[in-house]
Amino acid sequence: MPRKKINDQTQEIKVKTLRETKRGHWYLLSGLVLGIAAGLIFTWLLFPVVYEDTSPGTLAEGYKEIYRRTIAEVYLVTGDLDRAISRLNVLENDDIVFALGSQAQRALANGQEKEAQALAVLASAIQSLQSAGESSVPQFTPSKIPTEPALPTQTLPQITP
Amino acid sequence: MTRRTRRYIFFFVAILAGFAIGVTYGWVVNPVKYRNTGMGTLRMDYKTDYVLMVAELFQSEGDISLALARLSYLEAESALALVTSSIDFAENSNYTSKDLQLMWDLASAIDDAFSPVD
Repeated sequence: MPRKKINDQTQEIKVKTLRETKRGHWYLLSGLVLGIAAGLIFTWLLFPVVYEDTSPGTLAEGYKEIYRRTIAEVYLVTGDLDRAISRLNVLENDDIVFALGSQAQRALANGQEKEAQALAVLASAIQSLQSAGESSVPQFTPSKIPTEPALPTQTLPQITP
Repeated sequence: MTRRTRRYIFFFVAILAGFAIGVTYGWVVNPVKYRNTGMGTLRMDYKTDYVLMVAELFQSEGDISLALARLSYLEAESALALVTSSIDFAENSNYTSKDLQLMWDLASAIDDAFSPVD
């Protein structure tokens, strides 16, 4: 009899363990998923990103072109190359001259000759400075700026209207 | 502590861990990258420099409608308010008197353009 009693108790313990195994730890995964969902709701809905205090480097390409064109037009007026380069740097282009030159070509293809000239003149001035390898930036005066647009050598394929 | 209580505790701990993972993912691992923004979102120093560029062009061209068109890219409700706030910023940032004067001239021209004709 005592042996049977022991067997019954053992059987009871085994049944309990099996139930626990069946339930598993899915509740932990459920909690994790709920937490991740809450985290994403927190960051995307309750406290969404507000776009403010950005730099010109983050602008959409169309706005970058407007910004670049304005810099070039101002350079035509003031001839201040140092300031123009500083302004262009904030647009975070890998190659300033290439960006100016390709935009000048697009403007030319669209019949915006004045804009194309401004961009090309600035590109040419910066390219001259780069090839000269001068440490100090010379100050150009508007009278020294050539009237004909001088396109940089590194350009996009010619676009035909 | 009963087994049921312990499960509840671990459940909420899992929720907290998941929340931490979600926030870490959104802010550290894969943070938001600013891209394709408009000019209205630019920081005040960049806005001020753009206003200065418009003022420099206005001094040369004298075309107030063109200047207003250029300022409209900054998506301000009032061009005059935009220019005056830029002047305030420029004054606090020690811009040169020449640059300040250019912006004052632009502000004055905008004010004149919107003033009723006697």
